[in-house]
Amino acid sequence: MTEISYLAIGPVIALTLGVVLVLLVEVTYKPKVTWLGAIAALSLLAGFALSVAQWIEASDDPIIRFRGMLALDPFAAFGSVVLTVLGAVALLVAWPLIVIQGRRAAEFIALVLLSLTGMILMAGAAHFIMLFLALEVTSISLYVLAGFARDNADSNEASVKYFLLGSFASAVFLYGVALSYAATGSLSLYGAAEFLNENLLLDSASLLAGIGLLIVGLAFKVSAAPFHMWAPDVYQGAASGVSGFMTAGAKVAGFAALARVAVTSYGPYISDWAPAVAVIAAISVVVGTMLAIAQSDIKRMLAYSSIAHAGFILTGLVAGIDGVPYVWFYVVTYAFQVLGAFAVVSVVSGPAGTRSPLTDYAGLAQRAPVLAGSLALLMFSMGGIPLTAGFLSKLYVFREAVDAGYLWLVVVGAVASVAGLFFYLRVIVLMYMNPQSEEGGVGETRVGDPLRVALTAVAVITLAFGIVPGPLLDVVTSALPL
Amino acid sequence: MTDYLWIVIALPLAGAVFLHFFGQRLGEPWAGIVATSTIGAGFIYALVAAGDFFTGTGHGETIHLFDWIAPLGANAELLWDPLSAVMTLTVTGVGTLIHLYSIGYMHGDPRYGRFFTNLNFFAASMLILVLADNFGLLFVGWELVGLSSYLLISFWFTKPSAAAAGKKAFIVNRIGDVGFLIGLMLILANFSTLTYGTVLEEPARFITAGTATAITLMLLLGAAGKSAQIPLYFWLPDAMEGPTPVSALIHAATMVTAGVYMVARAASLFELSAFSMGTVATIGAFTALFAATIALKQRDIKRVLAFSTISQLGYMFLAVGTGAYIAGIFHLFTHAFFKALLFLGSGSVIHAMNDEQDMAKMGGLRTVMPVTHATMFVGWLAIIGIPPLAGFWSKDEILALVFGEGGWYGFLWVIGLVTALLTAVYMTRWMQLTFWGEARWDDGVHPHESPAVMTVPLLALAAGSALFGLINTPFKGFFQPAFEHFLEPSFEAIEMAHLPSGATPYVLAVISVAAAALGAWYATRRYRGENAFERAPVAEGRTGLWRWVDNGYYVDDIIGNLLVLPGKLVAAWTAFVFDSDVIDGSVRAVGGGVRRIGGWLRPLQTGFVRNYAAVTFAGVVGLLVWFVSRGVS
Repeated sequence: MTEISYLAIGPVIALTLGVVLVLLVEVTYKPKVTWLGAIAALSLLAGFALSVAQWIEASDDPIIRFRGMLALDPFAAFGSVVLTVLGAVALLVAWPLIVIQGRRAAEFIALVLLSLTGMILMAGAAHFIMLFLALEVTSISLYVLAGFARDNADSNEASVKYFLLGSFASAVFLYGVALSYAATGSLSLYGAAEFLNENLLLDSASLLAGIGLLIVGLAFKVSAAPFHMWAPDVYQGAASGVSGFMTAGAKVAGFAALARVAVTSYGPYISDWAPAVAVIAAISVVVGTMLAIAQSDIKRMLAYSSIAHAGFILTGLVAGIDGVPYVWFYVVTYAFQVLGAFAVVSVVSGPAGTRSPLTDYAGLAQRAPVLAGSLALLMFSMGGIPLTAGFLSKLYVFREAVDAGYLWLVVVGAVASVAGLFFYLRVIVLMYMNPQSEEGGVGETRVGDPLRVALTAVAVITLAFGIVPGPLLDVVTSALPL
Repeated sequence: MTDYLWIVIALPLAGAVFLHFFGQRLGEPWAGIVATSTIGAGFIYALVAAGDFFTGTGHGETIHLFDWIAPLGANAELLWDPLSAVMTLTVTGVGTLIHLYSIGYMHGDPRYGRFFTNLNFFAASMLILVLADNFGLLFVGWELVGLSSYLLISFWFTKPSAAAAGKKAFIVNRIGDVGFLIGLMLILANFSTLTYGTVLEEPARFITAGTATAITLMLLLGAAGKSAQIPLYFWLPDAMEGPTPVSALIHAATMVTAGVYMVARAASLFELSAFSMGTVATIGAFTALFAATIALKQRDIKRVLAFSTISQLGYMFLAVGTGAYIAGIFHLFTHAFFKALLFLGSGSVIHAMNDEQDMAKMGGLRTVMPVTHATMFVGWLAIIGIPPLAGFWSKDEILALVFGEGGWYGFLWVIGLVTALLTAVYMTRWMQLTFWGEARWDDGVHPHESPAVMTVPLLALAAGSALFGLINTPFKGFFQPAFEHFLEPSFEAIEMAHLPSGATPYVLAVISVAAAALGAWYATRRYRGENAFERAPVAEGRTGLWRWVDNGYYVDDIIGNLLVLPGKLVAAWTAFVFDSDVIDGSVRAVGGGVRRIGGWLRPLQTGFVRNYAAVTFAGVVGLLVWFVSRGVS
């Protein structure tokens, strides 16, 4: 019975209970949406508390449970902590969207919580089958969320596209799992590692092909180029209130899974996969930056920018286990930034809106100083200006990459960061220096209380960790996989 | 106690944040009271924290607050040693008095609350600068000081001249900052860190004299910008456009001393390069003389003091460039008192004269403003160097130490002495034209003494100007060189300049007092009597050299024509040709390129899933080729 550990699945149980309760209460009592929100908040709070408990437990005694399926280690616990907080902030951001859904609000909340369970399992999975299931739970929930604005053609298109391409990526991932199994004889992440440590492969082609396909599957989820094509359409097509969560959650969970697979199972083969990851990183950074410059819609711009950021995060991963803490630092702070940026967009374009042309932001500082100030801070951070978390994240991953011998990648990244400033600063210039345009500027600017809380949280995280990174650094340096 | 040293910075910072949101609502006088109490509390805290240094039992310590940019050694760490304690006490002590004075001075200003926000913000920035334990944090304070001085100089931004002055100060400071930043990069490249602990302790282990010269000259450029030394001095006189307390705080007591402080702090680096030291001293001496000659001819009551500040800062540079670090800091300390006093006194006069700043319309204020006059009298004696007031001790120590070095420094001593004479002339003229002689007021001007909230700080500063020189006399016994003992721990490993032996220092002191007396005597005669003003070369410029001096050697015109005009042309070219053709062109080219790429990727970009899948598939194939080839070989 020692294989069963309720703590290992504690956060998942809490969130799943939340899902069930939300749906049951909805069909039984048809309560006000606030009650559903309260249930979700409670389950997230319980999930958060259990994640913290996991952290405390796992820091001393990391272990694998459920017959090799789930790891209870600081890595998983940290991912779980981050994702529950992220989920809570995301629900605050999406609250105006939830309110206008009427009776469909329960479904929305349930889907967000369900996708969170998938993401948490992705961070904790110690077995390829478990990882695949978690990936699918996450993805399917996100496919539905992307198309949640049913009466909007953009939204429908986004959902179908995401689903088709996501299935394609899942198939590639599965093929990778099969090849890896063929080479190592184990479906466990740690079993594979053990085999590779004990045996020297005479012909590693099938293993390496498997690694390559696994990387593709996960790179798709984090929207790294050239597996990024879906991202701009989907993030634009999804309702603004939920795009941020889709971007942020998928990034956190995707990078957690990618980091664990890469450094634990295939750690010995780092000299083979790191160059490939570096190339993907470089392509992502360049493509994301270049195409972001050309966008006239802020949601597409943020989507391309998220592709570039995926590249920056991968830059930290080329250093292997040494880079993992900084991958965490980057992905966590970035997740909240992108969530905050889309939160501002969701106000300006309307929570259910899908398009948000940049011209809507002209003169925003006059109409809505809070929104403009928040977005300006986030743009500075994403652009990598000092005193924000975005600057330190870049600094850390660049340093790791230099230490690992990937100077060329850092040069590409640094040049792209400079070029990237163009489109980040353009938003700020529009908001602060341009007068409201004739046809634009019609956007809503009222900020409700939930959103205000969310924006404050995001701003505090961005600034606090930009000035005092120490506490987060301490945590991430111990948030390592078993 | 020192564990919580950050409170000294946090107090004025919290005051600034609080006043930013509530300052205007609080209004008069509460905004001022809040601001004054935060910095006052900071002063008291610093005073208590410095207790061990007073008794001689303290030792420098580093207080680690939190990691910031750890890889560069730029963490939030404070250094608490005698040098930073002196600077902190000067900034907060003189700062508190100036804050207090502003409560009365800014009376009736529509942006009363905002003024104190900026004043507190400035104090916090300056404290970050002097308390930093690494060049990174120092640079943060350095830049924040630049920013807040910009905000304060152009506080009355609706006045075009004030807006322009703020801009000028900021841009000139930027030029210095570039040098400073290059210096920091050089330090980083050679030491791999920015912490004082590594860089300043035996830097000779890391760098050669040549590298030290390069680093220190770059640092010197930054220091010259902040401390208004040749060639970057010309922003300071214009900065008088700010409200008078700003002039007192920024341009007398604190901001401009940052350069001197930085050179003293980096003494062990400067020490490695005799060339840099000589450059510092020479720049200081020539700035002192140059600014003093311009001060002779100004008619704006504050501009005289502005040039005087530049001149006195020149003395400080001369001192630190001679290796007389403690003497330089001592002069910084006494100067903070008497120059703040003189500025606040001139503010009191301006206030009384309905915002008149032209000395041609003053005179005879002695009787109507007795308190202001009495305190100015003390300030006047202090700055021209009459014993036993503060200015005498600090200036004379510098001159004696410079004389003791001999050689080229002997020549610099002569310049210093001439400057002392000129200082006496222009300051006596200043007193004569403002307070003595006949009244030349405009009609309808009825001068009156200022309220107590303004005169009390004047009295306090006057007491400081009169007495604080006594803490560092060369005599034993009661007049121990206490200040020197206080600061010595900060300069333990540094080779200091020595006083000449025997009776020479006393002879030198007599000479410089004689020079001061001569200057004062001449100026009293020159600008005294019934028609003092008409006879004084103030009203219109004479010919020849005077005309040059009158116009500040035309430096503003030269810079205007030589640098600013071409700068504007370059800017215009950049804006209308470079930007529109090259930048926009390249953006268009990029856009075009993207569009061309889009041309052959068109089917993909219009959103067909099959094409997205094709790209993904291409990526899969690419990766597989790489991995399989690695595996097969």
